[in-house]
Amino acid sequence: MNPLHEPLTEFERNARTVLEESVRRIDGRTRSRLNQARQAAVAAAAARRTSWWSGLTLMPAAGAATAALLVAVVLWQRQPAGELPLLEAPRAAAEHAGVEDMDLLADSEAMELMEGWDGSFYEWAAAQNDASGESNS
Amino acid sequence: MPAALHGDVDLTDSADQTRSRALNQFLAGVELKAFKIAQAGLRHEDDAHDAVQDAMLQLARAYADRPAEEWRPLFYRILENRIRDMQRRRTVRGRVISWLPFRGDDDDEELDPIAQAPSPDLQPAQRMELDQAMGALEKALGELPRRQQQAFLLRTLEGMDVAATALAMGCSQGSVKTHYFRAVQSLRAQLGDLYV
Repeated sequence: MNPLHEPLTEFERNARTVLEESVRRIDGRTRSRLNQARQAAVAAAAARRTSWWSGLTLMPAAGAATAALLVAVVLWQRQPAGELPLLEAPRAAAEHAGVEDMDLLADSEAMELMEGWDGSFYEWAAAQNDASGESNS
Repeated sequence: MPAALHGDVDLTDSADQTRSRALNQFLAGVELKAFKIAQAGLRHEDDAHDAVQDAMLQLARAYADRPAEEWRPLFYRILENRIRDMQRRRTVRGRVISWLPFRGDDDDEELDPIAQAPSPDLQPAQRMELDQAMGALEKALGELPRRQQQAFLLRTLEGMDVAATALAMGCSQGSVKTHYFRAVQSLRAQLGDLYV
């Protein structure tokens, strides 16, 4: 006990005996209260470990939820580029039709069909139709 | 605790139980001495109990996962901080109360005669001698500066070495030796060789 690692002096030995006896004489009520405090402390440490573990076991669920959220955010961010707002839809449809015409012109089979078209027959039929309309009136 | 899968051995559970047992054993080993040390510093039984209780809880919550060899100096460090906090609070409260016209007396608690009864395994003459020595030592200890008191009690009563005492007191080993030496000198000057 001596700080310089020398053997204990008589005073130190006696002091220790007296102090140990005073500890031995601590009354039952105090011992009981200290015992309760100790049980509470041990329970608190166990509860802390439990909450740490339960946190760890919830990790997969938390990971899945985070991944789902991430996907939702990415999709939401991409939506304005992929889908047009409602008011712009007719204009977009007209533009789409123009593109279809271009496709027809570019298509070689469509040009052959145009070449086989009997335009004079349709002009004659239209003229006949107009003439019958005039005679009826 | 996470439930063990069917057929698995839940190692975590048994490790936690071992840890809890070790902590319980450690606290059971220090609680009475810690109470005496707190009582010497605070000179009030309930305050001493509260300080030890707080120190136990804080150790359990914050340091239970640390190696068991570190618990003792950590526990006494926490306890010392609690004692110092309570002493400060008491000083402030004392100043405030001294200004109040009506103040209550804390010393009118009823004592339980059974709980207060001393251990019966000593001869009456021996017990009287020991009682006197104990009273004289406790009185002299109470008059020591707190750091000297702490160094003396941690080394003499708790049996901690200089290094562990230094950790518990948050000072150098040289300071521990100085505080301890001065405490012994002062106590011896008051008590002689404290014959029991």
